[in-house]
Amino acid sequence: MRADVGDRIVIHGHRIGEPNRDCEVLEVRGTDGAPPYLVRWGDSGHEALFFPGSDAYVQHFEHTN
Amino acid sequence: MRTVEMLHRSGVGVSPARTIREAAAIMEQAGVGCLAVVDGDRLVGIVTDRDIVRRGVARGVPADARVDSVMTTPVITIGADDPLESAYGLFATHGLRRLAVMRGDSFVGMLTIDDLFVSVVEQLSSLARPITAEILFSHRDPPVPATA
Repeated sequence: MRADVGDRIVIHGHRIGEPNRDCEVLEVRGTDGAPPYLVRWGDSGHEALFFPGSDAYVQHFEHTN
Repeated sequence: MRTVEMLHRSGVGVSPARTIREAAAIMEQAGVGCLAVVDGDRLVGIVTDRDIVRRGVARGVPADARVDSVMTTPVITIGADDPLESAYGLFATHGLRRLAVMRGDSFVGMLTIDDLFVSVVEQLSSLARPITAEILFSHRDPPVPATA
């Protein structure tokens, strides 16, 4: 997985009826966009390190200077 | 199969200085029951929702105490490229429910015993499918060719 600061990571729900979750990439700790990522979760504003598995994908956003 | 190929769920980590309250909130937000406790690049422990209840709440540890006060350490780990059979062995011998998967010194994710159960059930199901079909839609054996 490759991500940039500002991208959104979506994690699929694991159980029937469980909604997808998402977080925003605040910092890329790996090299060349590789994980781990420092992320902020949804509305809570809590920050954590994220180590993506096959349940997660990145939504890239166009970054403008 | 390599252990990393069984790693379906994303891992979530926090620094040891974060509070128990924050760790619980992150578990809730991320939908996980276990966090890696990571100091810089180094995995120093894991904390589960059960740890928070038994070592924190039940013992009167305040919610703003550091999360490393309730974490489990040292952590039993497995290499990302180790064969999956090794994971079965570690789960069996240590009575664990989670194994930290590492690539070198770096944490890459958490393998749970549930992941293995799901895999075993899927394999059994695929084995049983042709047998079930044979029972439900049995066909006659082809006739033995006549000999002169």
